[in-house]
Amino acid sequence: MLGLEHYARNSGLEHALLELVKTRASQINGCAFCLDMHTKDARAAGETEQRLYALSAWAETPFFTERERAALAWTEAVTRVAESRVPDAVYEQARRHFSEKELVDLTLAIVAINGWNRVNIAFRTVAGTYQPPKP
Amino acid sequence: MTTTFFRSLFLSTVLGVAGSHAGDEALRPTATPGGAPAPAIDRGLLQLAGSRPAGGGAMVAGRSGMRLDYQKVAPGISQAMMGLENYVRTSGLEKSLLTLVKMRASQINGCAYCLDMHTKEARAIHESEQKLGSLAHWRTADCFTPRERAALAWTEALTLIAENHVPEELFNETRQHFSEKALADLSLAIISINGWNRLNISFRLDPESCPVE
Repeated sequence: MLGLEHYARNSGLEHALLELVKTRASQINGCAFCLDMHTKDARAAGETEQRLYALSAWAETPFFTERERAALAWTEAVTRVAESRVPDAVYEQARRHFSEKELVDLTLAIVAINGWNRVNIAFRTVAGTYQPPKP
Repeated sequence: MTTTFFRSLFLSTVLGVAGSHAGDEALRPTATPGGAPAPAIDRGLLQLAGSRPAGGGAMVAGRSGMRLDYQKVAPGISQAMMGLENYVRTSGLEKSLLTLVKMRASQINGCAYCLDMHTKEARAIHESEQKLGSLAHWRTADCFTPRERAALAWTEALTLIAENHVPEELFNETRQHFSEKALADLSLAIISINGWNRLNISFRLDPESCPVE
């Protein structure tokens, strides 16, 4: 699992974007441990309270960039793959804002957080104690 | 000691993923589902990845074809995913069981490429046609062993995790058939196939190009 994580972290994708993606996937899957971790990491990296609180309703807000909106729509489609099958419209929107390499890397980041969500939900890793590394 | 604590210890000691993501310090029960409700999606409007008529043959009209070759665009992806895959293959779990698990997850997620691959693998190791044909309805079939049924129930719960959150009773039932190590390994196998499903559906890999080991 750390191999996937290492790849995603070194992919060149913006840290703030990756934290939004990880938080959103964890909201959908219902992973308390991952939500605690990634909201703390996001805050430590300077993310605003306003955007974190509104993340589950991102589509209705004006304060995410078009690139972030495309990434969040892709995250939702890939996370809910059994329902969505990742429609063409979401793919086309994502490709307008991400190069092929960036979109593949973003998808691996979504695969990784979906994996962590499953590990931590299945084995009930307890939320609350995580502390982000000191800058 | 609560089951919650037990599960947490199990994770960090057996699966070895304590690193940055699996704290085992705190003991209180937690993890209530926090996800927003899924949006209504008209399945009729959605296109199955690489779907084709039963029995093979001509492609379905409107099938979109490969979107991009992710292994070529980002070769490191396959290397990262193969790390998981190699762990699973050498875990000691029965190959026939792993193949059934991979097929069932791929059925749920709708991955034509993965279904094609793992059906061929199952046939290559002489899995019975009865099991392959009954897999989507394994709960009402009588050809699966209690261990296979436990693995399939665990596979469905982990694959559809946003809906069910892996209930306590299922965990306790599954532990009747799998050691701690075997259950951790099985879970990693399910995570791995869920990852491959997401990549292959997202980028519409063509089942025609599917290799067989």
